[in-house]
Amino acid sequence: MTGAVVMESKTNKKVFWGALAAGLLALGILLVSFGVSGVAYAVPIAGVGDFYVEFDKLEGEGYTFYPKLGETSSSDATPQGTNIIEKLTIDNLQLYKDFQVGGEWIRVKIQASKPVQISGLQHDAGLIEANAKFQNLALAENNSTDWTKQFQQTSSTIILEDAKLKTHYLFQETINMAGMKLTVEKIDKK
Amino acid sequence: MVFKKWRHTRPFFGAILSVLSGLMILWVPLNLYLSTFLPGSVAVIGLLFGGLITLMGLMSFFLPSASKALGIIVIFLSILSVIGALGGFLFGTIFGIIGGALLTAWRMVPADESAGAPVSDTAAQPAKTG
Repeated sequence: MTGAVVMESKTNKKVFWGALAAGLLALGILLVSFGVSGVAYAVPIAGVGDFYVEFDKLEGEGYTFYPKLGETSSSDATPQGTNIIEKLTIDNLQLYKDFQVGGEWIRVKIQASKPVQISGLQHDAGLIEANAKFQNLALAENNSTDWTKQFQQTSSTIILEDAKLKTHYLFQETINMAGMKLTVEKIDKK
Repeated sequence: MVFKKWRHTRPFFGAILSVLSGLMILWVPLNLYLSTFLPGSVAVIGLLFGGLITLMGLMSFFLPSASKALGIIVIFLSILSVIGALGGFLFGTIFGIIGGALLTAWRMVPADESAGAPVSDTAAQPAKTG
């Protein structure tokens, strides 16, 4: 009899566990190498909405500012300003957000004791309070039907001191936070 | 019954996990659409990796004979997707590694052989003679 051979689908366990172990090992090596260098890639802190950024000093290169309407945690469209900085260093950075849990306020705070290096920053703010210094500052009006493109501010360098920024959206391509500390604490807030 | 037969002739679960992994990895850069397309943004790499993993998963449904190679590519891309898409918050990467490993380990063997032999890969060894 020369009947057709019945084929069956089968998973080779040895190959499966081998491939899984190799994959997890490679992932581990990649994550450890990030941990060693302290660099995180493409970090979004989006959707957190209405949190505060405070720092002693920021030094940045390649600064662009333009207005926009953006989402916050309490509204779909709030006037904001978008700051784009190509490369920057921040001293004594603190990021915090307050949540009301029951009748109490809880503050989640991220701080870095050493200077933080960031590249490719996009930051949407509702309020910026700081002592600012610019180099080659240019304010330009453009003829555009899109109102967010009608006004633009650019400078080659930016220095902000003793700053407090009310932030709605933050995105970094790479961030190097040496000496990072995350705390969650109860606060008194009226 | 037709579906069951179709399912048993290809690496079904490996392909499903790979497609899921690709979609999870795509989710991160798609939520950052505002900055994903900014010049120099690495998030666009996440779109590429997520799209390719989804494609590999779909291809393994229709090209089961290539599942070994597709599985290796899925594992490789899902690990790299940590850069640019945070690996779908790592869930996408883990799903991708498991899915890729299932694809790599999948094969078709004659039914009687798999039932008779305790370990399927012994069939690959040459039979001892003499």
